[in-house]
Amino acid sequence: MFFVTYVRRELRRRMRQAIFVALGLALGVGLVVTVAAASAGVTRAQFRVLRTLYGAATTVTVTGSKWQAPSRPPKGTPAPQMGPHGPEICVAGGTCTSAAGKTLSTFDTLTEGISVAKVAAAARLPGVAAAAGGIFLNQSSLSWPKNGASTARRGGNALGARMGGYPLEGVDTRHPTLGPLGGASLISGRSFTAADAGAHVAVVDAGYARSHGLRIGAVLPIAGPADANGRTPAIRFTVIGIVRQAAGSNPPSVYVPLKAAQDLLWLQTGPASLHGKVTTIYLAAASAADVPAVTREVARLLPGTKVTSASGLASEVAGSVTSAAKLANDLGRWLAVLVLIAAFAVASLLTMAAVARRAAEFGTLKALGWRTRRIIAQVLGESLAVGLAGAAAGIGLGYTGAAIIAAVTPSVSATVGSNGEGCCATLIGGSPVQTVAVPLHPSVSAGMIVLAVILAVAGALLAGAFGSWRIARLRPADALSRVA
Amino acid sequence: MYQLTSVAKLYHKGRRTVAAVQDLTLTIDDGQWLAVQGRTGHGKSTLLNLLGGLDRPTSGTLELDGTSLGALPQTRLTQVRAAKIGFIFQTFNLIPTLSAAENVEAALIPLSAGQSRRGERVAAALDSVGLADRAGHLPTELSGGQQQRVAIARALVKDPKVVLADEPTGNLDTDTRDDIIALLEHLWRDRGLTLILVTHDTTIARRAQRVGVMNNGHLTIRQDSPNR
Repeated sequence: MFFVTYVRRELRRRMRQAIFVALGLALGVGLVVTVAAASAGVTRAQFRVLRTLYGAATTVTVTGSKWQAPSRPPKGTPAPQMGPHGPEICVAGGTCTSAAGKTLSTFDTLTEGISVAKVAAAARLPGVAAAAGGIFLNQSSLSWPKNGASTARRGGNALGARMGGYPLEGVDTRHPTLGPLGGASLISGRSFTAADAGAHVAVVDAGYARSHGLRIGAVLPIAGPADANGRTPAIRFTVIGIVRQAAGSNPPSVYVPLKAAQDLLWLQTGPASLHGKVTTIYLAAASAADVPAVTREVARLLPGTKVTSASGLASEVAGSVTSAAKLANDLGRWLAVLVLIAAFAVASLLTMAAVARRAAEFGTLKALGWRTRRIIAQVLGESLAVGLAGAAAGIGLGYTGAAIIAAVTPSVSATVGSNGEGCCATLIGGSPVQTVAVPLHPSVSAGMIVLAVILAVAGALLAGAFGSWRIARLRPADALSRVA
Repeated sequence: MYQLTSVAKLYHKGRRTVAAVQDLTLTIDDGQWLAVQGRTGHGKSTLLNLLGGLDRPTSGTLELDGTSLGALPQTRLTQVRAAKIGFIFQTFNLIPTLSAAENVEAALIPLSAGQSRRGERVAAALDSVGLADRAGHLPTELSGGQQQRVAIARALVKDPKVVLADEPTGNLDTDTRDDIIALLEHLWRDRGLTLILVTHDTTIARRAQRVGVMNNGHLTIRQDSPNR
């Protein structure tokens, strides 16, 4: 009780100094909390991008090697071209027909297929908890109006056609949580089950469903392989689920069972080119510690493929989200450290000055029979109280800083390179690079609060320790002589 | 009982050595009142520091009740100060943030007395110096005389064997000085204290049983009336 009373009264007497020291500590701690919150927000933003692309459970991704387009399109491949009477759809090695009133749909991928057997082999590797194959396809379509052929222009994709398209993912229905579907939130219907393996069912993105008027049970026609005349009759898929995915991250709009996706692809080397193959293998490591070994083993098992771990995936994210991460991790961290050091130094100097001013007081206490360690405990108690006040204020400043960052920088851009397959519809000349807006939500976690308290208290106790060192060296007679 | 034998205290100031106390052999019996006079810088306060265990002699032996204070480890010396020696300072040395009662209580902290017991003893000590009604006042709310009374209560609250007073009236006016000395004399007689009082004031010194004068570190006893 006496201890507390003495601490309280002393701090009240030196209120301005105590507030100054506490604010200094608070500034340093607040900056640390803000930087940590921003860093956590950036990490979460990166994670959201990756989660959308690769799925929450995926820790290692394997993608096939880059597909080399054949110098000549395979026989039976339809392609638009400008004929003497307007746009035409010509089948390689076949005939050309007018494109007026027709739609040419294609699916393509940019990577070579990986045998499904390799998926099973990867699943058997030590440290692998689960493995799933996936096919990422880009659906591209060109539609010509019935009377619009005359307005067509020669060259490129601009053949007077309206362009469309969406990304589609073939999902291993035994492991729907591996891959991008695993990162989506189901808002209606259901996800795939193993029983859906051979079914023509689809799970669609909420935005895509809204824009196309799709509901659970609705029929989604997806253009199938072209026939000999270049026509692509639609295959009817039934919508069984609608999912919400990270806004702006350009996730697949449509998910279908892997088998159905394999059937859809034809452009690469022919209609059956991906039968029995996948373009991506999603692996879940048994633990984080297994990731490096799994990465090595998979690379050995599948030479020529691109094996990327979660950390490697993060490095694929570029754009302002990366700049923000660098800012938070480099400049922010060092700035916080510098401010902390300055705060600690100021607190130490002020505490030592206070001890020097109170030499007579401590000398008196020693004359009264107080042990040095009891006096030191008293000073450390005062420092502890200042540290706790600094921690509380620092947490407040940290929350404020995080709120300001959230208000000033509501979102950052994340430029994600092709996941090995990309979008790249040859017909629409798409780019393999996607730049998406990612919401930035800096947040203060319980761990950060604990860190703030530890830092502030440590700083205050460090300052108190310097003061204590002086007290320990203080000879009572010398201390008392400073009064007389 | 203090027994000082050939006690010396030397200070080194650069190449110079200053003898604050030299060749001091002295016995102070229990219950005696010794007044020490002398000019400034002649070793009075140094002697008091040695007697109070705040400093150690450079040579010679200084015993309190048969215990050599100079040879005691710091922890034991602190315990001796806490239990047996009360200090009264010229500038009162009250802790400004603590009330009168808390200042007095501070002397009981090293003795590990329970809080309620401490409260009783503090109240009794303040009552004995006539400040029972000022217990909650801060030092700044008290007059100089009242502050010195609080300091006396702080020195006496632990029932010490020895009270060492360094110019206790040096900062007080004449009337207050007389009050404080009368109080000290009363407490000395009443409690059988050993009182060693440093003063410039001859009128005060004459009230003591023994009067010693410090001159260049040497103490000369000029008045010795142990039966007063």
